[in-house]
Amino acid sequence: MKCAEMIETEKPATRYEVVRMPTGLLGFEEIKDYVLMTNPDEQPFSWLKVQDNSALAFVVINPFIALPDYQPDIPQADVDILGLKQPDDAMLLSIVTVHDERRATVNLKGPIVINRHTHIAKQVIIANATAYSVTHPLPITQAAE
Amino acid sequence: MLILSRKIGESIVIDGRIHVTVMRVEGEVVKLGIAAPSEVPVHRKEVYEEIQRSNQQALTKQSTPLPKLAGRVPKLNSASGSPGARTK
Repeated sequence: MKCAEMIETEKPATRYEVVRMPTGLLGFEEIKDYVLMTNPDEQPFSWLKVQDNSALAFVVINPFIALPDYQPDIPQADVDILGLKQPDDAMLLSIVTVHDERRATVNLKGPIVINRHTHIAKQVIIANATAYSVTHPLPITQAAE
Repeated sequence: MLILSRKIGESIVIDGRIHVTVMRVEGEVVKLGIAAPSEVPVHRKEVYEEIQRSNQQALTKQSTPLPKLAGRVPKLNSASGSPGARTK
């Protein structure tokens, strides 16, 4: 009994965070409630799951993994809407399109900005969107064989 | 569709709070100035549609083979390990 408990606690648990998007995602404006699910086995990816029984979800990733010198310019209006007081209040996630096991792309024009404290989020069209792609290739090491 | 003629410097007002002004005309390019309350999103239509299409393409059932991909994507060199915005 004790051992089983210990083994369970040793494995990092999957984290769930409720995320509310009052304006939804572009094209999915009516869906406002999501859960951000982070499974240690799947990192650096997380799931942004629709909070209902549909099993619909988006794969998301820290955009700086796709592009280390990514410099999104978040419009002041969005900063105000999200109530961001300082840069550290914001968590950025980009939606990943998984094409197959060898190819995935990341949307860098419209990152999801989450207020870490309130868990309110918005898909923001960055002011410098023209400098970035909606299909930025995610660097994937091809399996040797 | 309502079609209005405007000269440079002239505006239209939408809903009493959104002001669209013709700033300059350079050949085939018309520069518009838009003044709207901060809660009114204003986007270039093609960018908006591009992100919309990308979202629709990205939507999935939670069954994509992520662990296989996960091991082959570089990790971020960050002390906290959690994704976040950076200061300039």
